[in-house]
Amino acid sequence: MDGPDRAQERLQARAPEMELIREAQAGSRAAFDALVRQYEQQVLRLALHLTGSEHDAEDIYQEAFLKAFRYIGNFRFECSFYTWIYRIVTNLCLDQLRRRKTRREDQAVVVDQSGDEIDMMASISDNRSFSNPGKELDRKVLGERIQTALSKLTPRERMVFELKHYQGLRLRTIGEMLNTTEETAKNTLFRATKKLRTQLAGLR
Amino acid sequence: MNCELAHERIVLAAYGELPDEQMHELERHLAACPECSQERQQLLAVKTLAAAYPVVEPDPNFLTRSRIRLEEALDALPPKRWYERFSQRVVNNFASLQTAPVAALLLLIVGAGAGTLGGYEFAQARAAHVAARVPAATAKAEPQPVPIAEVASISSVVRQPNSEIVDVTYNQVVPQHIQGSLDDPGIRQLLMLASENSASQGVRDDSVGLLAAECRAGHACQGEGIRDALMVALRYDKSETVREKALKGLEPYVAEDMRVRDAVLEALLNDSDPRIRTAAISELEPVEADTSVRQVLFTVANSDHNPQIRTVSREALSRAPEIQ
Repeated sequence: MDGPDRAQERLQARAPEMELIREAQAGSRAAFDALVRQYEQQVLRLALHLTGSEHDAEDIYQEAFLKAFRYIGNFRFECSFYTWIYRIVTNLCLDQLRRRKTRREDQAVVVDQSGDEIDMMASISDNRSFSNPGKELDRKVLGERIQTALSKLTPRERMVFELKHYQGLRLRTIGEMLNTTEETAKNTLFRATKKLRTQLAGLR
Repeated sequence: MNCELAHERIVLAAYGELPDEQMHELERHLAACPECSQERQQLLAVKTLAAAYPVVEPDPNFLTRSRIRLEEALDALPPKRWYERFSQRVVNNFASLQTAPVAALLLLIVGAGAGTLGGYEFAQARAAHVAARVPAATAKAEPQPVPIAEVASISSVVRQPNSEIVDVTYNQVVPQHIQGSLDDPGIRQLLMLASENSASQGVRDDSVGLLAAECRAGHACQGEGIRDALMVALRYDKSETVREKALKGLEPYVAEDMRVRDAVLEALLNDSDPRIRTAAISELEPVEADTSVRQVLFTVANSDHNPQIRTVSREALSRAPEIQ
């Protein structure tokens, strides 16, 4: 496909979203549902990885899209819809992380790959873990270790690290999403990686 | 380059955020500094270990369940009134013309119009409901001089076939008087009605003042929708004194009720009276650490027209450092 066609294609790819947004703002539920379908996978993926819990992730998903529905009238096309949605999601995630910190409910409990909760203390001394040798165990133990280290970060540090390392977003975008500057996002990332390095030192 | 700066640049480089020319400088430093070189190794180790907790795609059933739950919640919401959507649209379209005084004036007129229409429509609905209980005049009744001032609405007009006679069914508003205690639910209902649809500012002022005093005194101010009435007054009433009283009445609930918090945030952003915006900031003090509140404070600190309000917002932001 040559140049002009591709540019046209790109425009057509974006134009439908703007149309959808306008229709949703005008009250079309079908248009809003279409927008949800475009973003729901990413939103759920982020919330799931960040909270480590299907239950919490679903709550965040629900609240985020309800908020989006309620406030879609305020969207003024000054930023991309993607940034706007993510701003809502990250704020909800931050609130969730802060609530956890205050309640201290995640100290000893960690969620593994399959979604089951493991008691950190038990897995260290449990005989079962020795009957399951090999790479699988290593990966599981390492996974738990990194999750524990991540839980020791402040909510903002955790958020920035998640968006940068796991979701691969640019620091500038992260700044926009968290309603702060790129500079602040950078400094938060530095603190986060420093803390993780200290936590995980000794593990190779 | 000193090592502290190098450490930061190592992180940026690891995440592809270091400009090329700085990359070159960094490489030269690392070649000569074993400590920083080790720092880079350790960062790479962190990245590798982080991969032990990979991002997984949500299970399709889980996604479907979440979507269904969302659809149910959306279905349960009341539909947006047309004038809410309309004023929102107007605001969006004119937002980019903020500096144009004519556009701003039009915006004010349309917004006030939409608000008045909303109030009018609401009043109509209530009045019709009140008067519907009054039995409509029978077709055979003698036509008496109709007290036009008391006619709420006309339900039907039917011309009798082959004649000049017309049957008109109308609803009449009957002035009544009642006395009772502030605790009386009937009195409270009337006060709520007065707060929303009385044409007289004095009446609205009095009723909102009384309701707000009840709320501040903590006299059971949720079940009967008194909070709602205050929120409506805060948002839509044209008189600043009425809005100010409504705001005061909502103060005890800012911390516990999200809707009240949102209403106060809206007032902070949109109210034309700086006294009200200032009062809103002080009422938000118990929830200053909340993310959405901080966001609004941040916006106000930067873009409010009134310098004093910008200062107060900034102070509020600095008072409650983010919970880390």
